Parts: sequence; C-alpha cells; structure tokens
Amino acid sequence: MEKEQYKKLEQNVTPKPPYLKNVAKAFFVGGLICTIGQAVSLFYMIFFNFTEATAGNPTVATMVFFAMILTGFGLYKRIGQCAGAGSAVPVTGFGNAVISAAIEHRSEGLVLGVGGNLFKLAGSVVLFGVVSAFFVGLIKYILVTIGVVSW
Amino acid sequence: MRLLGIMLPLLVSVSLLSSCNEKEKFIVYGSPDNEKEVEAILKEHDFVDKTTVIQYDDSMLVAVQIKPWDKWKKAKLEKKLQKEFDEKYPNKDVLVSADFKIFYEANKIKKDKIEDNKLNDKIKELKELSKEES
Repeated sequence: MEKEQYKKLEQNVTPKPPYLKNVAKAFFVGGLICTIGQAVSLFYMIFFNFTEATAGNPTVATMVFFAMILTGFGLYKRIGQCAGAGSAVPVTGFGNAVISAAIEHRSEGLVLGVGGNLFKLAGSVVLFGVVSAFFVGLIKYILVTIGVVSW
Repeated sequence: MRLLGIMLPLLVSVSLLSSCNEKEKFIVYGSPDNEKEVEAILKEHDFVDKTTVIQYDDSMLVAVQIKPWDKWKKAKLEKKLQKEFDEKYPNKDVLVSADFKIFYEANKIKKDKIEDNKLNDKIKELKELSKEES
C-alpha cells in the first residue's frame, strides 16, 4: 500500500470530531467554573475585608483547592474528558496539573518523586506566564514612554 | 433540547427576580443636605449604574457601580469622577470608588443607619480599605 493510499483510507475511516459540540461543552463548563470563581470572589468581598482588587488572590487559592479535592477523588478527570479546554484553561486546570503529577509520582518518594515531578507540566505554565508577563510589561513601558497610552 | 428546557425557565426566573428587586439607584446619606446637587453630578454620566454617597462633615465617600460594558475603562472613569468631585468640592475630602466592596459597605451603612462618630470612623476605614493593594 502506498503512503497516499493509506492516507486516503485513514481519512475515510476516522470519524469526524464533533467540533461544534466540543466547543459548546467547553464554553458552558468553562463558564460554569468562572461563575463559581465569581461567587467565591463575592463571598470574600462580602464576608471578609477584601476589595475587588485584592479578592483575586484568595479566590485563586480557593479555586485551586477545589480542583485539588476534585482531582484527589478522581472527578476532575471526568470533567476534563467532557469539557476539554473548558476545564484546562481556568486556574483549576493548573491546579489539576500540579496535583495529578504529585499523585502519580508519589510512589517514587517524597523528594525525587513528588518534589521533582510536581511542576513537570505546570512548570511550563509558570515559565511562559513569567516570560510573557515580562514582555507585555516591556511593551507597555515602551508605549507609556512614547506617550501612546498611560498607566 | 433538554438543555434549553432547563435554561429557559432559569433565565426567565432570574430576569423576573431582578425586575422585582428594583431599588433606588441614587442614594445620598449623611449630614449636609446637598442630595440634589450630588445626584445631578452623577446623573450627568450615563456610564453610572448605581451610586451610594455617604458623607459626614468634610468627608465624602462616593461609591459607584459602573455599567457592564463601561467596566473596561473602570479605572479611567473613576479618575474622571474623582477629578470632577475634587473641583466641585475643593474643601472636602472626597473619595470616589468603583469597587464593589466599597459600594456594598456603603449600602450597609445606609441600611444600618449608622450616625455621627461611628459614621466618621466607618468612612475613614473604607477609604483606607480602598487604598489597599495586596
């Protein structure tokens, strides 16, 4: 069988992924996670002394905590299977990446297993987050110095 | 179809709830009687959704809620209002805040009918809170 023939055959056999359905699922599940986050943020504003500007930190911590519990009980996996990017893009996806790595490598020991692999996947998120923040900051600084925008 | 069956009654009930709950949008609370004046300044701008103004003697706290689409420019609009109030009341200590926390607390002051010294302390406390950054 030639390479091109195989390609044709493969294309005929592979089922078409339901893009629209996946997008809709991701949209609604991602939206649901964000709604919960907003509720947590409102909770911190109403019952504690946090303003809109400062409520972000405890909210992120709480959302990661929720993701941790769900991952520990094996439920986040199911959300991820159903919603895809909708569950990976919010900060809960980051929490899931950290915690599932910790659970997976637990048997290899505390230092070399958990410690060494904790940021296996999430490390790239942290790295690119810091790097892109640096460049965005640099661009904004240049724009402010030129006088196009203000802080 | 099933999703629609769940979502539609939910949306309708939410919209009904919000319309039944229509409250006063411009509230001025405190000692000097210049309600009309303050209200006029705030009503000039159509990006202002709800406001609660708390005042005691020389200190004034203007808590604003900005309409959803204008929230992109929240910081800028806040500064604009602050400037306007500073010009209008040069010998008063005015603070304009678009923060939800400040708005919520201001409404609580009105609801609890806090007065005099306690009111002064509360305004001071909220002004400090709004400056906090971490």
